[in-house]
Formats: sequence, C-alpha cells, structure tokens
Amino acid sequence: MNKTTPLLIAAILSASALADDGKHKMDHHSGAEMNHAEMNHDHGRKHDNGADHGHGSHDHDEMAHDHVDMAMNAAGITHTDEISEALANGGAPVVVDVLGVVCDFCAMAMNKVFGKRDEVAAIYVDLDKKTLSLVINDGSDLSDKQIEKLAKQAGYRIAAIRRDGEAMDG
Amino acid sequence: MRNAILKIAAASLAMLTCSVVQARPVSYAGGWTLIEIANRAQTAGLAHYSLAHNFSVGLRHEWQREGDVKLTAVQPTLLVKRWFGRDYQGNLYLTVGLGTATDESPNNQGSEPASFVGVMADWETRTLFVSYEARFLEQGVLGNHSMHAARFGWAPYVGDTGELHTWLMLEVDRRRHFEDKTSVTPLLRFFKGPTLLELGYNLTDTGPLLNFTYRF
Repeated sequence: MNKTTPLLIAAILSASALADDGKHKMDHHSGAEMNHAEMNHDHGRKHDNGADHGHGSHDHDEMAHDHVDMAMNAAGITHTDEISEALANGGAPVVVDVLGVVCDFCAMAMNKVFGKRDEVAAIYVDLDKKTLSLVINDGSDLSDKQIEKLAKQAGYRIAAIRRDGEAMDG
Repeated sequence: MRNAILKIAAASLAMLTCSVVQARPVSYAGGWTLIEIANRAQTAGLAHYSLAHNFSVGLRHEWQREGDVKLTAVQPTLLVKRWFGRDYQGNLYLTVGLGTATDESPNNQGSEPASFVGVMADWETRTLFVSYEARFLEQGVLGNHSMHAARFGWAPYVGDTGELHTWLMLEVDRRRHFEDKTSVTPLLRFFKGPTLLELGYNLTDTGPLLNFTYRF
C-alpha cells in the first residue's frame, strides 16, 4: 500500500462529508432525502396540512412523496409519564415515523438531538412502533422541515409526520 | 463527489474481499463515543467525536500484543452510505488512520510512521445482524498487517427502548501474520441504552474477547 493512500483517503473523507452537508442545505427536501417508496404512506391522512394544523410551510411538492401502496402503521403517540405530563400542560403531540431505527443507539441519537430543542417538552423513541413521539411546548412550533432536519442530524430519515388528533389516535 | 466516494468504496470492498464492525464508529452530530477492544490481536481504545451525522474524528491507541507494538493514530471515519428501511438499517464506512507505531519489545526497533485504511459494512434488523470489516496497516519495519473479519448475529428476543438487548454472535477473522490465520469467536453482545458490552472466547487462539462501547 502506498504511504500516500491514507492521506488521499483522509482528504476525500473530509471533502465528502463537507460536500454532503452543503448538499442538504441546498436541497433539503429532495427525493433522495425522503424516500417514501419505502413506507406505506397514506398521503391524505398522514399529512393533512389543513389550517387547523397550523404548519402550512410544509411543501408537498418538495417532499417528493411516492404514493406507494404501503402500510406503515399509523401509530399514535407513546404515553410515558413525561409525555403525559407535557400533554396535560397543553403541549401539542407529534408522532414521527422513522426509518432505520433498530437499536438503542438510534433512540439515543434522536433523544440527544431533539432533546436540545427548547420547543420540545417531551420525547420518546419507540423501537417497537418505530416512531418518535414528541410533545411541543404550548406556544411553540417545530415545522415538518425542522423535524426532518433534526432527524437527519441524528442520522435518520423520517417517513411521515402526524400531529394533533392523528398523533393521539394513530 | 458522493458518487465518486461510492465508487471508491465499492472498489475497496471488491478489492479487499471482506471484513466486520465494532459499534458504529460515527454517531449523531455532536456525539462522543468511547470504544474499547480486546481480542486475540490487540487491546485498543478509541475515542471519537462526530462532527456530522456522517463524519467523525477519533484518537486511537492500540497495543498489538504479538509484536509488542503500540500504535497511536488520528482516525477520521466517513459514513459513506446508510440504507434505511422500516425494519432495517445498513451502513458503509471508510476509515483511515495516521500516527506513530513504537516497538516495545526487547528488539527495540524504535518508532515508525504508521497508517491504515479500513472499510466497514453492516446490515441489521432488530433480530439479525451481518457485518464485515477490513483493515490494512503499514508501520514500516514493525510490520504491515491486514485483517478481515465477518460477523453474524441473532437476537433471541426483541427488546424495546431502554431494555436489555441480547445478541448471540459468531465472528470469523483472518490475519495473515498470525500462525492461526483464521479464527472463530462466538460471543454475546449485551446492549442497553448508551452502553454496549461484548464477551466472547476465541476458539482457535484460545483467548478472550472483550469489547465495550459507551456513547454520550
């Protein structure tokens, strides 16, 4: 092995990581970012962005959803003591279907990244349901775009977001 | 750029023919991971910090027991690709190391610049795990080594968040510079929250395996 090989690979690794970050900033909702072909996404039901949901910034064209016949369970929020308390205090429920969540390190990554946000009153990653349950503080907001970005920082990809009644009922 | 990296990774995989993974060497952005490795070849420690979800930089220190050589290196790692599914996750990593190796044996051949390249790939569900890892190390007169390792794992039950996860695993490694070039190690992996512990015994070289990872 040539001694310069590790140096070259180190340079490539750094450049690739930086280039990747730049790409995501510019093309946040590309199809590659959210491959909905992998999840059974009922578009009308899971992403009802009506006025009552108050997150009109969600751009469905940018989301590049594939309306594939899939049946990802529309699970409701997971009730932990922390989540129940946050809901009782007027927080808004959000349930995020997450792809690739298979272990506690995955759960921990999302706990760390989302837990740093002031908007988040409570959080729980449910490996069984493959969901991220959030309660957003009363008066705060966390848009779909922000949730997607935070999930990416944690190293994961989201498949769907449900809010309010849908998040409670599943 | 990303396509070029993927091509390099694919070529590396094809060229290297095969190998396995410690606990994932890249964490979430801003996350730290401490890894301890003790197997038939080495005792090593690695501390790394993830600058992004796909890139970490770490400091590695290892003692290669057979040659009594100590290696200290800076180790950047790139998550080249992560495959996501509702029930699975796959990862491909490339890593390099640059540092110094020192002969601690009575031969006392001094220190040499050291470098290595590695590739790691894994695929897992909540009950199945397959991985491969290869490393090619150059350290001058202190020896140039290659290592390949593959691992298969099965979880007898599915644990939910925060519960104890248990895996039964089998690792096969190949190291050309060893008398027993190929060895087999059955092991148990225990995983709970931020902590991962692996206990095994190398049947070929009759020695223990003890790996530990803590993430924060």
